Amino acid sequence: MTPVATTAEDTATNKRPHSRTPPGVWLRKNLFSTWYNTLLTLVFGAFFLWAILALIRYLVNVDTEIIRVNLRLYMAGRFPSEQLPRLWAGIFVACAGVGLFSRAVVRKSEAKAKDAGLEFERSTIGDLVRRFWPLGLLIIFTLSFTETITPTLLTLTALAVGIFSYWVAGALPGFIIVRLWVIPLVATIAFYLAIAGFGGVGWDLWSGFFLNLVLTTAGITLAFPLGLVLALGRRSTLPAVRYLSVTYIEILRGVPMITLLLMGAFALGFLIPGDRQFSLFLRILIAIVLFQSAYIAEVVRGGLQSVPQGQVEAAQSVGLSPWKTMRLIVLPQALRNVIPAMVGQFISLYKDTTLVLIVGLLDLLRAATISTSQPEFVAQGLERVVLPFAALFFWVGSYVMSRESRRLEKKLGVGER
Amino acid sequence: MTDETVFADATQVAGSSELMIELQGVDKFFGDFQALKDIDMRVGKQEVVVVIGPSGSGKSTMIRCINRLEEHDSGRIVVGGIELSDDIKNIQEVRKETGMVFQQFNLFPHLTVIDNITLGPRQVRNMPKKQAEDLANDLLVKVKIPEQAHKYPGQLSGGQQQRVAIARSLAMSPKVMLFDEPTSALDPEMIKEVLDTMQELAESGMTMIVVTHEMGFAREVADRVVFMADGEIVEVGTPEHFFMNPTEERTKLFLSQIL
Repeated sequence: MTPVATTAEDTATNKRPHSRTPPGVWLRKNLFSTWYNTLLTLVFGAFFLWAILALIRYLVNVDTEIIRVNLRLYMAGRFPSEQLPRLWAGIFVACAGVGLFSRAVVRKSEAKAKDAGLEFERSTIGDLVRRFWPLGLLIIFTLSFTETITPTLLTLTALAVGIFSYWVAGALPGFIIVRLWVIPLVATIAFYLAIAGFGGVGWDLWSGFFLNLVLTTAGITLAFPLGLVLALGRRSTLPAVRYLSVTYIEILRGVPMITLLLMGAFALGFLIPGDRQFSLFLRILIAIVLFQSAYIAEVVRGGLQSVPQGQVEAAQSVGLSPWKTMRLIVLPQALRNVIPAMVGQFISLYKDTTLVLIVGLLDLLRAATISTSQPEFVAQGLERVVLPFAALFFWVGSYVMSRESRRLEKKLGVGER
Repeated sequence: MTDETVFADATQVAGSSELMIELQGVDKFFGDFQALKDIDMRVGKQEVVVVIGPSGSGKSTMIRCINRLEEHDSGRIVVGGIELSDDIKNIQEVRKETGMVFQQFNLFPHLTVIDNITLGPRQVRNMPKKQAEDLANDLLVKVKIPEQAHKYPGQLSGGQQQRVAIARSLAMSPKVMLFDEPTSALDPEMIKEVLDTMQELAESGMTMIVVTHEMGFAREVADRVVFMADGEIVEVGTPEHFFMNPTEERTKLFLSQIL
């Protein structure tokens, strides 16, 4: 939905025609050019054929009853069933937030392009489908396991809320468009209130795939700024700040994440004086943020080092203060240069949220594995059903993130100088 | 200037009497290596000083000391009445009044041409956006590329980029412009457009220190030519003196190698 401000040059390169070769020629040239290429083609062809047949046999034999029965456990875990409407309310709020935010972003870039006298290319429904089809398929696939029509209707409502918010955001006052961050902030507060506020469900009961999503989102939003500060601290001219950052980064990077999670669960309590204790959810979130921020700091440091010294000198000679030089000149370029590595870190954070199962939190993976020990499903080897099911959720999320990162890279013109 | 004058040292200002830049006994070390040895130099208002010399002679280091991109180890540097010290406020003041053009342009690749130019006025001088953009457009006309305002530096030729860099410096309305080999990274056919821009700037009365290997420019535009070697100022004179009757052996050797 985010627009792309294109210049004439960009469109020219995008529309460069591909030269097409006839399939027969292509086959001969690429697969059967020499005797050893022919041999490799045959061997690997046979292997792939065998693998695909095995996969089909596996999928056909699968009895998905266990997924049908446990879908709520997988998605929402121990979330009390009488409180489920609150979870849906939370989803609606999230959809509204996304709708408002994306329209606001579109409006901002539109204004910017207009300001610069450039043509503004609005993305189409087709673009959206191309970008998010794995997500759409996953939702449809998940809904196909539901027993009643209600979840489907609610999902459609959520979609409608998103579209409606997008439309509404066309009328948002200008001062919000200038301060885009207001929208996610308000949405986050509303989301929390919808689920936990006024006698709702506190985060210690948040579980299932919902827990993975919350931990990922909160983890990224908190670990990224902390990592940024650490990276800047590591480059600070003040020795105290520098050594503190280096020590933090090197200690946390040298510890396995599982150790940190276990410490968060069992040891962090002893470090905090007084009777007041953080809940397990918070302690685990802290452990994740501490761990990931150290890695993010190193990614950012790589980015900072990739910005040539001449950029700093140019900024200084214009009279920019050190802080403005960092904020307006170095950081934008540094972060742009490390988008792929940064998103890689986010993807690994997303997948690592499954590790919380070792401290007893009920995430999607844990829910999937315990469902196979229910009396009616025990000892039937149903792990072969539920594990791929759980894996699919992580794969889709990771894949969409990685594609979006590539899109962002292209949009911001990484490598163009 | 048509007279052929030799100056005893670089502290004698040609033409105008009002002092803009003063260096007194400036030393600069990189580790054990002494890059500048007891440099004394003065530059008067509206004067154009061209600094020449073999590579490694300290020319770039000297002008980089003038806006504190390099910190001098001893001696005094006074720019527009402000003495450079460790005080960041002083340094900022000097940098506001001093434009610098680099060999590698150093434009900000993530900003459009117009944003490159308005950045300083808006962020440092708190100029309103509209006013800064009008100023930028005027400057782009002055450097003869008004149509490139909304492109990114990467989409411009080297010569155009360097002219944007000049416009970016001028946007701060500096009292002094420093040029650090501004044409050395350019393809030959683009050198002229940049030199023309610099010449116009000189004729408009800008105080300039130019480190360059362009002897044609030195001959035509300079009020004084300073020859540096091994971190020292070896010889100072009018272009006429310099290219007709250089006195020092090292100057003669250098000129014979490049001319």
